[in-house]
Amino acid sequence: MSALLEIRDARRTFVTPEGGRLAALDGVSLDVSANEFVTLLGPSGCGKTTLLRAISGFETLDSGTMRLGGADLTGLPPFRRPVNTVFQSYALFGHMTVARNVGYALEVAGVAKAAREAEVAEALEKVGLAGLGARKPGQLSGGQRQRVALARAIIAKPQLLLLDEPLSALDRNLRQQMQLELKTLQHSLGIAFIFVTHDQEEALTMSDRIVVMRAGQIEQIGTPRDIYRHPKNRFVAEFIGETNLMPVTIDRVDGSEALARTAEGVELRLPASGRKPGEQVTAVLRPADFTLGASGIPATVSRAVYLGSDLYVFVQPKAGGPELRVIARDTAGVEAGATVHLSHDPARVHVLEAA
Amino acid sequence: MRNPVGWAALTAFSLAFFAFIYAPLFVIIGYSFNSNPVNMMIWEHFTFDWYTGLLGLSDRTTDVSNRAAYVESTDQMLAALRTSLTVALFTTTISTVIGTATAIALARYRFRMRGFYNGFLMLPMMMPDIVLGIGLLIFFVTIGMKLSMLTIIIGHCTFLTSYVFIIVQARIAGIDPALEEASADLGASEWVTLRKVLLPQLTPGILGGALLAFVISMDDLVITYFISGTGDTTLPVFIFGMIRRGVKPEINAIATLIILASVVIAALGLWLRSRKTD
Ligand SMILES: Nc1ncnc2c1ncn2[C@@H]1O[C@H](COP(=O)(O)OP(=O)(O)OP(=O)(O)O)[C@@H](O)[C@H]1O
Ligand SMILES: [Mg+2]
Repeated sequence: MSALLEIRDARRTFVTPEGGRLAALDGVSLDVSANEFVTLLGPSGCGKTTLLRAISGFETLDSGTMRLGGADLTGLPPFRRPVNTVFQSYALFGHMTVARNVGYALEVAGVAKAAREAEVAEALEKVGLAGLGARKPGQLSGGQRQRVALARAIIAKPQLLLLDEPLSALDRNLRQQMQLELKTLQHSLGIAFIFVTHDQEEALTMSDRIVVMRAGQIEQIGTPRDIYRHPKNRFVAEFIGETNLMPVTIDRVDGSEALARTAEGVELRLPASGRKPGEQVTAVLRPADFTLGASGIPATVSRAVYLGSDLYVFVQPKAGGPELRVIARDTAGVEAGATVHLSHDPARVHVLEAA
Repeated sequence: MRNPVGWAALTAFSLAFFAFIYAPLFVIIGYSFNSNPVNMMIWEHFTFDWYTGLLGLSDRTTDVSNRAAYVESTDQMLAALRTSLTVALFTTTISTVIGTATAIALARYRFRMRGFYNGFLMLPMMMPDIVLGIGLLIFFVTIGMKLSMLTIIIGHCTFLTSYVFIIVQARIAGIDPALEEASADLGASEWVTLRKVLLPQLTPGILGGALLAFVISMDDLVITYFISGTGDTTLPVFIFGMIRRGVKPEINAIATLIILASVVIAALGLWLRSRKTD
């Protein structure tokens, strides 16, 4: 299957008012297939919006190509691109009713009024706003406005929908509800979504693939599990979820396991694949990869945070050394000052080549 | 919680403030109904004579012996009013179109010397009227243009365009550029976006600017005084001429009618503004 959207070596440099040059897109290549949910994830200013705007045509590239369904997009103005956008600010037309907002793409395309009304009703139905067509956007709640923006963007059945942090203005509950609804909608519409967020949890729950960006470059592309379990480097490991990064030196290799030691002398077991004694690497362990039990690495609890059925525990294997974060079942006796024992499954340890 | 003395002082101050602003207007309105033709400060009895006389409907004037002259001056006044309305209508239309187009161009397009144009458009507004009036007069004389209604219209447009520009520009600054992007994103060309999104969003600003231009054009004395020919006189210039021959009760009636018209226009403006678009 050939890709719906092909981006090759996209570059865009801004001249900042301070006189410097800033590479907002620094050689970005990305393929998106039909009906795929791709999330752009990265810290503020890494170029997510710029990439989205380049796809929708509001930003021009200095170099590189973009093809949509095989057709070159270069030089095509935004209104000729079969791509629609859900804006972060929603950008609803305040002087029009909800129905006219939703039907706008059809109106400017010259679709007859009767046909338009039927489609508007259907689109409003899809986003759960049936019957609100006569209102003005100013008479809706934030969540409802969000849905209007969504209905407006999907009514023309674009091949690709771009969403720039569409949920960032909603409160937590509504956000989680919309995350599920968006995912379901994407599935039933069969449209590819490119979704921008800087919320890693959102990215993990919604995406088919996550694109992690930093400073105009793509750091890693992969499924959520891939990105979470096998981050390519420190940046990705730290950006996605809570992580324990432990620089270690390989002590010896023992069959399928390697024994490694941190500078403070804490012992870890890792997968042996390709490890050599004396090598310096970084072990990546998620908080849930440790188990608190009767045996293992002894450590002192410095803080325990109650999460409901779980405890979020900060432990110190060596006094004065770095802290580790561990998620454990809520058991009696795990409290500040107590001594616990940490064990881990060597197969769950991800290894970064650089120390 | 409230300090009663401070509150009373504040109330008194507010009342005094409004009295200060409105007392002269009420005095004029009162005088316009006083039948005393010689001294308007001494109340005789209530009359509509000055209004009917003004409109050429009755015989009573301040100067009975000079009735013929007065009827003529009623005609002149109506002619002046007609000139004022015609001038205001044309200048409002022209300056609203140019001012709006300029505001959109300066806000939405990047081109050379943008900042320069921006400042340049403010200038006619800040220029003293008398300088602008003399400047325009010298200009028209230099290019050999006869002073007429046309020169008044051109003269008014030079500074009214700035007023419209500033009001529309303030409105544009408050419009999220993402609206126009959303329109383009949904397949609308620039022209369609202008028609269906930007102009409707700007409507309150454009109407406000037009209203202001109309009122200022109707009201202008100093500039018009320099650039109106002998033939076409506007209402303010006409009234100014009348006052130089002494303040007559008819002037109070004219002033009262103008106040009434202003109130109607201001109410219209407020009503338009209260019709929020979002
Ligand atoms: N028009 C512009 N002129 C100059 N610099 C710009 C312009 N637009 C964006 N930038 C810069 O380019 C970089 C990337 O911006 P972009 O908006 O793509 O970031 P982002 O990843 O969307 O960030 P956020 O998560 O905060 O929305 C930023 O450093 C920004 O300051
Ligand atoms: Mg952004």
